[in-house]
Amino acid sequence: MKKTVLIFSFLILFFGGFAVFENAKYNDGKLHVIFCNVGQGNGVFIRTPGRKNFLIDAGPDDKIIKCLERHMPFWDKTISAAFLTHPHLDHFAGLNFVIKRYSLLSFVTEDLSNKSVSFQALMDNIRSRNLKIIYVFSGDSFKLKDGTSLLILGPSYEYLDKTSPGRNIQESGEFGSLIVLLRFGSFSVLFTGDSQTEGLVQALGTEAGETDVLEVPHHGSKTGLNDKILSSLEPKLAVISAGKKNRYGHPSPFTLSLLKNFHIKTLRTDLSGDIEVVSDGESFGIKPN
Amino acid sequence: MRIASVFLVLILVLGIRAFLEYQNRQDLKDGEEVNFVTQIKSQPKISGSRQIVSANLDLNRILIITSPHPEFNYQDRIRVSGKLKVGVLNKNEIFILSFPKIQKIEDENSIFKFISVLRQKLIYLFERTLPSDYSSLLLGIAFGIRRNMSSEFLDNLRIAGVLHVIAASGMNITLFGGFIGGVFSFFLKRQIALFLTVSGVLFYAVLSGFEASIVRATIMGILALSAQILGRQRLSFYALMVAGYLMIFINPLTIFDIGFQLSFAATFGLLSIRPFFFFSDTIKKALNITLIGEDLIITLSAQAATLPILIANFGTYSIWSVFVNALVLWTVPILMVIGAVGGSLGIFWELAGKAVILLAFPLIFYFDKIVSLFSDLGGSLEIEDFPWQFAAGYYLILVSLVLKFKNKL
Repeated sequence: MKKTVLIFSFLILFFGGFAVFENAKYNDGKLHVIFCNVGQGNGVFIRTPGRKNFLIDAGPDDKIIKCLERHMPFWDKTISAAFLTHPHLDHFAGLNFVIKRYSLLSFVTEDLSNKSVSFQALMDNIRSRNLKIIYVFSGDSFKLKDGTSLLILGPSYEYLDKTSPGRNIQESGEFGSLIVLLRFGSFSVLFTGDSQTEGLVQALGTEAGETDVLEVPHHGSKTGLNDKILSSLEPKLAVISAGKKNRYGHPSPFTLSLLKNFHIKTLRTDLSGDIEVVSDGESFGIKPN
Repeated sequence: MRIASVFLVLILVLGIRAFLEYQNRQDLKDGEEVNFVTQIKSQPKISGSRQIVSANLDLNRILIITSPHPEFNYQDRIRVSGKLKVGVLNKNEIFILSFPKIQKIEDENSIFKFISVLRQKLIYLFERTLPSDYSSLLLGIAFGIRRNMSSEFLDNLRIAGVLHVIAASGMNITLFGGFIGGVFSFFLKRQIALFLTVSGVLFYAVLSGFEASIVRATIMGILALSAQILGRQRLSFYALMVAGYLMIFINPLTIFDIGFQLSFAATFGLLSIRPFFFFSDTIKKALNITLIGEDLIITLSAQAATLPILIANFGTYSIWSVFVNALVLWTVPILMVIGAVGGSLGIFWELAGKAVILLAFPLIFYFDKIVSLFSDLGGSLEIEDFPWQFAAGYYLILVSLVLKFKNKL
């Protein structure tokens, strides 16, 4: 009996120490944006200074779970909202795994569907768990008490109507994708999903301000960026989420040389793994893995 | 002489039984339409847009490729119909069913339905409490329930030579029973302790899903425990032999089942090797003082008896294996108790169950770090073909050692 008590006291002690360590590591009052290495796909995890968790896309499989585990304290199992930029497998399939392991409070997406079996299965899964489903258009925003805000820049109702009249897309073809601007103090990150230049230009409109970090649209495909977009955004850091040796040839040499011409520091998940950007609301830094 | 002839007759009867089984075997051909019911033998793997399920049709292994939803689980019973295709996997020919019609068979029996609901609740509880790899490891250790692990973690376990902690559900039962038996017999009269231990093991078997291999392991585990608590080695030894014989007689294919091999060998180890450690009084005293001595001996006895099976089935042998096992195996009985207690408690009271399960976190963290440290060191041997002669020789030596020293006890 003495032995059992001793073992369990050890465990509790160790456990306490570990909790203190993780608390200091993850609750530092800063904004953390992690571009997860999910292979060929997109998955971004955001932890706000007020310890709220958000997800923008979830990659093609369960790799997203490992990423969440690497960047959240082990006791935290709540994700306030998951944004899905558009219903394509390499962006949504990971959500099936997220829903199983975490308490997801709401699901935010554009009013667009995909008739594929896997997307319908995901939606059934979401409905059966009574998650709040929010359809957003440009102009909508989410503001948090800790000063973080998520603004939806696109697509607009009209743009979706024009590009996807039946409100349906196929597995190929990229038109309307959510474009989300994350702000904390003067720091901002622009998430572009699989946007094409046309959609991005429309969403940014005339008043496109500068942004610190740009997620390069559509895994760095050649149809996502042009010099006009780059010169109006003037990002200090560009991040490309793509899989190693993917069959689409992402990112394209055109996009890479474009970024190089603008002297923008570019990081790629296929080369660097998870990319973590940390900001205190003024400046930002890249946290080494 | 009489014993020898009884033995001979028994073997002969078994031989006839096995021959009949072989005769009735079905041969499969490329392009053949098949329609069969099977139970899923290992946790299906989901990668991207495909789910890969491994199933058995008579003696043939069949790989089923299907969409990731609905998700199937280890031990699900499914009806499959489709057209067979011959493919190649690791240089071996294998039958593949690509996107066949699959229908999950729900258990009609309300008891089994209840158990399956209980199991799902258990899995959900663990997966909501611990990181993914950790919950899979703990579910494997505590209940023999297999869930998906990241390939990196799985490789580390394999390379370091500790994968058996999740694969050996039979050994789990023996260890779990040995532990709670030890605790009970410390406080209570032998008979009461035995009764409680057997009830504990039965409840554990219920939580593990009452799968055939677990039932077999439970029977053998109870035999070993009765011997341990009542102090009657010889009787249990015969009972083990009879139980093993009957199981093979009922289904000759059982002998190829790694779960059967492991539970049989582990029980054999506990019955015959464990007593040697109590040979001298000094060792006995030392064991009473040390924190984990008793657990270590249970583990060591089971290990010594299962070593060739582990090497033959998990293919890799690390030169650090023995060392790593010594470093981490002491956590296994504790993890098992935490898992079993936390799981049983959590079914009735979720929060309390979660609190107990979280206690496993530091131990698994330690387990994980040791294992990844040693698997990074290298020094592992890939054993592709483990000759059966080695296993036979090993067991011959083991048995003769046991017999030789038994008389000295």
